[in-house]
Amino acid sequence: MIPTDVATSSRPRWLPSWLAAVTLAVAMFVFGVGVYNGAGLLKAGKPHVVRPNQVPAPALPGTLYVAQDGAIYRFRNGTFAQITTESGWTQPAVSPDGRELAAIRRYGNWSDLYLMTPSGHLTALLTHDYSPQTESNHWVFYPRFSPDGRTLFYDFDPKDPYNSYRVDLAIFASPSNPSSQGSIQWTYPNYYTGGDVYPSPLAAGGLIYSKYSIDDRSQVHSQVWLQSRPGSTGVALTDPALDCGQAALSADQKLVAMVCTKGQTQSTELDVATFDPTTSTLGTPSTLVMGELVASPVFSPNGKGIAYLAPATPGGMFQLWSVQITGAPAPRELTSQLALDSTSPPVWTAG
Amino acid sequence: MPRASIVAAGFVLAGLVGLGAYFLPLVRTAASAVASSGTIAGAVSGTISNLKPIDVAPSQPFTVLLLGSDDDSKFPADRLNTQSMILLRVDAGSKQATMLSIPRDLWVPIPNQGMGKISTAYQLGGPHGAMAAVESNFKVHIDDYVWIGLNGLVKLIDQLGGVNVVVTNPVMDDFYPSDLSRTGNPYDYYRVAVLPGAAHLDGVRALQYLRSRHGDLRGDFARSERQQQVLLAIKAQTSHLNVADLPTLAAAFDGEVKTSISLDRLRQLVSIAGSFDASNIHRVVLLPPFTSEGYEAGQDVVLPDWPTILPLVHQTFP
Repeated sequence: MIPTDVATSSRPRWLPSWLAAVTLAVAMFVFGVGVYNGAGLLKAGKPHVVRPNQVPAPALPGTLYVAQDGAIYRFRNGTFAQITTESGWTQPAVSPDGRELAAIRRYGNWSDLYLMTPSGHLTALLTHDYSPQTESNHWVFYPRFSPDGRTLFYDFDPKDPYNSYRVDLAIFASPSNPSSQGSIQWTYPNYYTGGDVYPSPLAAGGLIYSKYSIDDRSQVHSQVWLQSRPGSTGVALTDPALDCGQAALSADQKLVAMVCTKGQTQSTELDVATFDPTTSTLGTPSTLVMGELVASPVFSPNGKGIAYLAPATPGGMFQLWSVQITGAPAPRELTSQLALDSTSPPVWTAG
Repeated sequence: MPRASIVAAGFVLAGLVGLGAYFLPLVRTAASAVASSGTIAGAVSGTISNLKPIDVAPSQPFTVLLLGSDDDSKFPADRLNTQSMILLRVDAGSKQATMLSIPRDLWVPIPNQGMGKISTAYQLGGPHGAMAAVESNFKVHIDDYVWIGLNGLVKLIDQLGGVNVVVTNPVMDDFYPSDLSRTGNPYDYYRVAVLPGAAHLDGVRALQYLRSRHGDLRGDFARSERQQQVLLAIKAQTSHLNVADLPTLAAAFDGEVKTSISLDRLRQLVSIAGSFDASNIHRVVLLPPFTSEGYEAGQDVVLPDWPTILPLVHQTFP
């Protein structure tokens, strides 16, 4: 005859009842912890971000430089290489001969402009923007070499001696040779707009950039602006209502890529237009990407494609994309786990 | 009871305890929000009739007053001004929403207090004092309020993983208040440069963008527009969340958010949030000619032009 307690229980004969109870209690505790942790796994959570040099990406011709989390990366043959430490580096620019980089190092209250080799070895500090007095510090942003390589254009915040609240960026130019001195203020921004930004020097000696204005209905607008010489008034290349900026020139300077919002504040579009500096006109823009958050376009060295930054999903981090400018636009996402600095325009060189 | 049932019940109980522990921060936050709402309601009892949560069918429009305060150590916790007041009307039926930014320096009669800047209504009467001031001046009915402090907003955005916005122009400020920490000098300041274009902003950077005003010709009006823009970005980001994200969010607030919104209405808001995008959210900022600059009682103020404001408000907040 089988004893009753054995018939109604699955407990093995050799397991004492107290041990079975403890085992069950532990199992229940573990189950409860598992439910707790399992609920956490259901969270939408934050995207998993990695350093660019931790993941490969489809190869592009030539070399690109991008910035993420205060470091500059070189992208060549489908591989990213980190060329600076993560210490405030952003907005690299490449000299026309490809032998020198200019880049911004941003600190809390100021930033400075450096020269370095393409592998990230520092060769010169070009600005000294630190001051112990907070409001006496300076910013420098958006360095760009002139096509002949002899001049560096950049944004700088000249102080208003009569009103310390006014901080508007203006575009300056200095010799790219660190042993040469002097700077010229090229642009004079509209007051209290934040200033003129994003210089792109022209081979003919002029400059295109983004200029901001505030209309009589208190709406702020950005326009792509052309200026032929320092201090001249310049002309608008785009209508204020289009809100275009971040203009990039193709290598032959016959095309302009730009980001336009058309009054939207949650989306942008990538437009391309022909450019004729002799008549100071842009052709009718064609839209390559719309309904996304496009930032900082740059032409490929052969002028047939554009790389730009945009999130792959709403609210996501900025990734590297490319799109051909001929045929039906087919944007191609090149990275998926990065958090690229969208205010640091990529640089794309042939070398 | 058979032993197998007891064991099964034990596992179910253990699972429920695990779930309860996971959602405990949410329950705590809900409880503290209700408690603070009740306390404030008691302090100004009788001034507003709609303090208790109202059961509203999802199709019935409702209006929420969004309040944002500098709650750093410059101000006693019970004497905060509101730096931001946004009236939000949500009509789930027509899938339309309206955001109306109220200038913080708007010179208005404040119930039981006399004339003053509308930002002081919160200081004088808490959230319900602010609601009363807006209701009496703008002739609207407000169902609920949501108040958030500086650190609460930063934490909210960071918990969401940041927000994506199009920075409309360079936002430059050499005197941005360095007041997020309660231990430092609250009158200290630092420099801000938020560069233009599409960008992913963390909590601190987003706060700089929506709070800075010194370097913009449009001053507080520009700030109001940027606040609405970041609100839209937050709304977009919350559409990715699910119920499992709520406890982490709730734990992050830690007294930095107060609201009279009932959990029922919160559920309605979450359920309809995905139906709204920028195209069906109407944004209003009371720029001139709705307002003009003025000087009253020894201070710079914004003077309302009620004959132009009220028809607009009645149109958008019927």
